Amino acid sequence: MEEIKEILKRYPDRRGALLPTLYIMQREYGWLSQEALQAAADALNLPPATVKGVATFYAMYRHKPMGRHLIQLCTNVACMIMGAERLVDLLKERYGLEPGGTTEDGRFSLVIMECIGACDRAPAMLVDTDFHADLNEQNLFEILEQYK
Amino acid sequence: MIKLTIDGIEVELEKPITVLEAARKAGIKIPTLCYFEGLKPFGGCRLCVVEVEKLPRLQTACTMMAADGMVVKTETEKIKAARRAMLEFLLINHPLDCPVCDKAGECELQDLVARYGPDAGRFREGKRRHPESFDDPIIVRNMERCVLCTRCIRMCEDLQGAYAITVTGRGSHSFVEPFSGGRYDCEYCGNCLTVCPVGAIMSRLHRHSYRPWYIQNNVETVCGYCGVGCTMILQMREGQIVRTIPEMGLGLNNGLLCVRGRFGYDFVQSEARLRMPMIRKDGELREVSWAEALDYVAKRLREISEKHGPQAVGGIGSSRCTNEDNYMLQRLMRFTIGTNNIDSAARLYYAPAQRFLERIFGQGITANLIPGIKNSDGVLIFGGDPTQINPILGLQIRAAGRESATVVTFGRAKGLERFAHYMLPGGPSVIDAVTGMIVQELRDKVQLSGENKWLEGEIQKTRVSEAVEGVSVDEVVERLKEMTNPVIIIGPEVLQSQNSDRTLLLIAQIVYLLNGRVFLLSDRPNYQGCIDMGVLPDMLPGGRPIEMFKHKAEEVMGKEVPTERGLNLFEMIEAASEGRLKALYVMGENPVFNLPDRERVTQALKGLEFLVVQDIFLTETALMADVVLPARAWSEKTGTFTNLERRIQMVRAGAESVEDMGDWRIIAELAQRLGEEKQFRSVEDVWEEITHVSPLHTALDYEEISKGNALWPYNGEPLRGVEEEVEIQGLDDIKPLKVEAVLQPDRPLYHSGSMSRHSKALKSIEDAPKVVIGEALSEKLSLKDGDRVRVTTERGTLKATVSIDSTLGDERVFLSNTFSEGNFSSLATYGVSRLGSMSLDANKVRVEKEEA
Repeated sequence: MEEIKEILKRYPDRRGALLPTLYIMQREYGWLSQEALQAAADALNLPPATVKGVATFYAMYRHKPMGRHLIQLCTNVACMIMGAERLVDLLKERYGLEPGGTTEDGRFSLVIMECIGACDRAPAMLVDTDFHADLNEQNLFEILEQYK
Repeated sequence: MIKLTIDGIEVELEKPITVLEAARKAGIKIPTLCYFEGLKPFGGCRLCVVEVEKLPRLQTACTMMAADGMVVKTETEKIKAARRAMLEFLLINHPLDCPVCDKAGECELQDLVARYGPDAGRFREGKRRHPESFDDPIIVRNMERCVLCTRCIRMCEDLQGAYAITVTGRGSHSFVEPFSGGRYDCEYCGNCLTVCPVGAIMSRLHRHSYRPWYIQNNVETVCGYCGVGCTMILQMREGQIVRTIPEMGLGLNNGLLCVRGRFGYDFVQSEARLRMPMIRKDGELREVSWAEALDYVAKRLREISEKHGPQAVGGIGSSRCTNEDNYMLQRLMRFTIGTNNIDSAARLYYAPAQRFLERIFGQGITANLIPGIKNSDGVLIFGGDPTQINPILGLQIRAAGRESATVVTFGRAKGLERFAHYMLPGGPSVIDAVTGMIVQELRDKVQLSGENKWLEGEIQKTRVSEAVEGVSVDEVVERLKEMTNPVIIIGPEVLQSQNSDRTLLLIAQIVYLLNGRVFLLSDRPNYQGCIDMGVLPDMLPGGRPIEMFKHKAEEVMGKEVPTERGLNLFEMIEAASEGRLKALYVMGENPVFNLPDRERVTQALKGLEFLVVQDIFLTETALMADVVLPARAWSEKTGTFTNLERRIQMVRAGAESVEDMGDWRIIAELAQRLGEEKQFRSVEDVWEEITHVSPLHTALDYEEISKGNALWPYNGEPLRGVEEEVEIQGLDDIKPLKVEAVLQPDRPLYHSGSMSRHSKALKSIEDAPKVVIGEALSEKLSLKDGDRVRVTTERGTLKATVSIDSTLGDERVFLSNTFSEGNFSSLATYGVSRLGSMSLDANKVRVEKEEA
């Protein structure tokens, strides 16, 4: 709550503080459940429906429960040309991980991202908050094996 | 002056408006989908595109302002091609299931595609799937049909102010949903149904049971639920209401309805409706013919009147019946039987409050226009949430709050939480002190007009000896004194306590200091009509005191006005229990249910020799009656209602059922059997007599009323120069009182009582009473919405579901009086306040959590 008060100071109105508030709720609740959305609405005194509309518009929020680590892999044009789609297949072969899905052991979740601004070093991905680029069939798993 | 040319027609505009509106003014219809009159332009559907000379691209007429010298073309080949292309895009995901869609025939998309094409789609990809949602009891959402015009959302947010729905998701996976994704948690105004151009948001009530072209007639009438009097169209088929709809530009509701008006009509088609007269024989109510029933009633009334005198007979009129019905009952009691024992449920708060204000300010003080609220610069609300009691009036306050008005609430007003600028406490312990504090500060900051010396004296006398802790009115007073045309809204919740005369005088002082316009909330459609028709023990039609106008009325009627003082509603109950009142004629009222203290009222009515109940249902009161006469419901009647702004409006019958007669006619028949010579052939005859008897309604006819502008003071003469002094104790020593929590009757949004509990639709939204408690109490008892509680008063205990209202303090607990089980009246008792209204102070209440 203190944190949200701080955020509110930086915006001209309550609605403006919604996106950062949703990040806070996502961190607290793990994902943007109905409960988390209601909490965001209560914290900012906004109608819950409005909060839901905003939250569901953005791909960067978690709209269902996720694994321990979130892989956000880009498949936009540059990454696609440089083989990102092959990486998607490999994740499925190795971990049984589908786009939008979570591994059975709850270790990884995979979200296909829109461009993450690393076209010069495509293909690229984010794992949680870490950035990894110049991916290929080998280093993909070397990187991922660091996340338990 | 702006001059432009649209399709070769020169259009001159006084004010800047959009090209679309300018074209409509010139009679040119530009096709639209996302545009809806009254909603903010959106420019989303691109169907209103037009060519504007010197501009390179097509422009959306709904968002572009007309400018001087513009040359606009609205229907060229280029435009048609663009519209065709837009429609082709819209149809990519549209299921084209018109044969099974209820909207077909009045679907804007269907009409547009029929006009502009395309004949066939070129997209081979599959359509998005999104199953129809039946999670809600009333509203079906079929998001495959949705064209994302967002009219529903703009309606919900900008006009209704409910913020209940939103677009979730993105791109082609955008859907309109309530927060839950399933069932709505909203005000159920259904205004989203009005604006949906396609079959995406539909009512379940008549699903698959009609086609728009099956509607045989459209009857314009006035809603029978509350005192706003919204105009609505009854769409009829084979004598049944298919649905009720509002219409833009029609009535003071201008295209909007609330939940009761839109969905609550089905009670008239309930199986429980009474069809035949009944007489109690051998202890049981048995069906008889009309002739037998009326002969019997006449005989018994005559016998009792002859044996015990006319004072032993009384009548209760109905704030749900028309003016004509009430007039006839009043006529029967006064002029045929010869007693002034006549009253109605307006006694509970509306009539005494209006009388009090009129004594101070003169007749007509509460006659102000509802649509004017929106344009005022300040709204003060006392005594209840207008968005619940009179929802369409509530919307005016929301609109005012969004514009420039300062909205100040005193006490409970949950529906205005997002719109109020100041929410001051207004519970019974502090309402006088808070209003007194305002009077004290305000009187030095505004110029007194000198118009009402007595009231100015009272204003100077007002003294708050102990301020309310933690409440400052300085800022509010600063805003108040700037107001030029404020509105003051007074509801029942400050009018039903022992001291409400002082509260009302303090509010009247604020009215005077601000020169405000007063509105008295009315939870029934025709409290005002009861008053104006003389359904009062001491007033003749037109609001004329008997002692002053007796002779004039006698002259017009050619009959005597009884001189003996009449009994009011409370006194009639008392007289019945003491055996002084022998016969009671109850028309469209249910005192056993609507008066608190069911035990006392039941005992009183048992003491009667003869009880007649004329109603549409076998109510709790009817069950006790000696004779029950079936009446017509609001949608089966022709006549007039007078709303809370004192506007007289036509009620028109959608269909009349053959076997019954309607309230006024039953009474006319009865009067004839009691020796009345005058024949009333039609309801017009009744109205005609009213215009002669009541000095307020002189020469006002149905034709004029039908125009919708039968506004105070009509053609008549208001009673002038009767401002009186009223004596109020303790004005110079106002302080917060120590009170224990009391139980109060809730007037919920979804229900009204005797009518609504026969509405399947309204019951599907809410089918059990809720106990409304304040936030602090909920925290103390660790209760959340939906928990079960036990509510205990001296009269007993009942269990109900809790609903928390953060704008309600802890001095009051509200329980509705709408369901046959678990209602307010079974737990409460009543007294009579100094104002003359019902006092509910004695109902001390305890709420406890029910452990699972």
